[in-house]
Amino acid sequence: MGEREPSAPALEVRELTRAFGVRKALDEVSFSLPERAFLSVFGPNGAGKTTLIKVLTTLLNPTSGEAKVLGLDVVADAVEMRKRIGLISHNPLLYPDLTAEENLLFFAEMYGVDEPHVRVAELLEAVELDHRRLDLTRTFSRGMLQRLSIARALLHRPEVLFLDEPYSGLDPHAMDILDGLIAQIRGDHTFVMISHDLDKGLELCSHALILARGRVVLFEPRTAIDERVFRETYRTTVGMGVA
Amino acid sequence: MAASSMRQFRAMLRKDIVMELRTKEMLMSMGLYSLLTMVVYFVALSQAGSAFDPRDIAAGLLWLAFIFTSMLGLNRSLVHEKDQGCLEALLLSPVDRPVIFFAKVIGNLIFLLIVEALTIPVFAFLFLQGSEMVTSSLALIPLVLVGGSIGIAGVGTLLATMSVNTSGKDFVLAMLFIPLVYPLLLGAVTATGAAIVGGPEALGVFWTGMAWVFGYDVIMLLASYGLYEFIVGA
Repeated sequence: MGEREPSAPALEVRELTRAFGVRKALDEVSFSLPERAFLSVFGPNGAGKTTLIKVLTTLLNPTSGEAKVLGLDVVADAVEMRKRIGLISHNPLLYPDLTAEENLLFFAEMYGVDEPHVRVAELLEAVELDHRRLDLTRTFSRGMLQRLSIARALLHRPEVLFLDEPYSGLDPHAMDILDGLIAQIRGDHTFVMISHDLDKGLELCSHALILARGRVVLFEPRTAIDERVFRETYRTTVGMGVA
Repeated sequence: MAASSMRQFRAMLRKDIVMELRTKEMLMSMGLYSLLTMVVYFVALSQAGSAFDPRDIAAGLLWLAFIFTSMLGLNRSLVHEKDQGCLEALLLSPVDRPVIFFAKVIGNLIFLLIVEALTIPVFAFLFLQGSEMVTSSLALIPLVLVGGSIGIAGVGTLLATMSVNTSGKDFVLAMLFIPLVYPLLLGAVTATGAAIVGGPEALGVFWTGMAWVFGYDVIMLLASYGLYEFIVGA
């Protein structure tokens, strides 16, 4: 397992390529993200955003190149890495035929969470679902599922959180809860968020990345970004066929 | 297996059993399919006349029913995981891929054995009533069922994982599963046939069949164990 240097970046991606047959979903992507940063990833549909998240969360193996999260290689140190990352997707990633509590307890066991019942109760309260803890999740609304999905992702106190369009389909109340939870843990976590919402993505991020056709079009710290130029670059990438 | 892997294994198995007891989807569909197959066999063979001894083909009929029934269940067991991205959530947790594989295999094995245990009395009632049987050799049938079902669940779970992401998953599973399970079928039918017919030579034939079955189980489980990580990461 890779030993981590104290100043090592939270994410280090070097010439990362992932191909599906002859099509390259990611084509020599390189960037480096410091700890406790918030990266917003933008790009049109099919740009490779979800593939990037899947490789960084060990769900897909890269075809070539290298990616490290918290100094751990996504292939060689996958099991160790998974203990320290979490994913909130637009899919709830929950079992519809288990109750809210059963779902969280199941994942708590998978992650080896200490005192799982206490942690589960604490998170159900945080996402305001403690009153529905004994209900099957198939009876939940989209917003409730997403809130429970947030609780699932935070169960094991991950250091890096990947958010794949987390606001998609959320009602305003669920959005507020997600905003509140992000604000609460923002200071000591690293975030990588895929978003189609430029305003939201730019509001939250410390770094921004635009992907198109699997390649990095732009990667800048938020402080170096001229919003007008950024929007123009994004519009050109998405709207004028470059992507 | 490390303590944490054992805990994860138990959690996955418990989750699958709880969900199945709640929905009864796999057991109902597999059980009904298996019973309907028995009825179809009965109607088809009722024209054969009294000279025909059903014991001669009983083993083949039984295993044919089990193979087709198992495909129904194997697909469903992975489709549950695929729903709402649950498989991704599972793969995202710090669990060794073989632990997921073995938990799925054992879950599928339990459901398959339950359906087989329900099917056999119906089969015996429809086809073997009044036939001459040797009780001591019949007692060997549970051993073939377990051995054969381990192979079906092992290979089937691996192939169902491969096919779950394809558009024609039922077709893909059948195309891969039936040729691969053929050697197991040969051994299981031989052993079951010997147990049903009985007689002085039956024991030797039975153990030859069982050697095929257990050999197949060991080879296929080891191969599936080795391939599972590659398949889920591909």
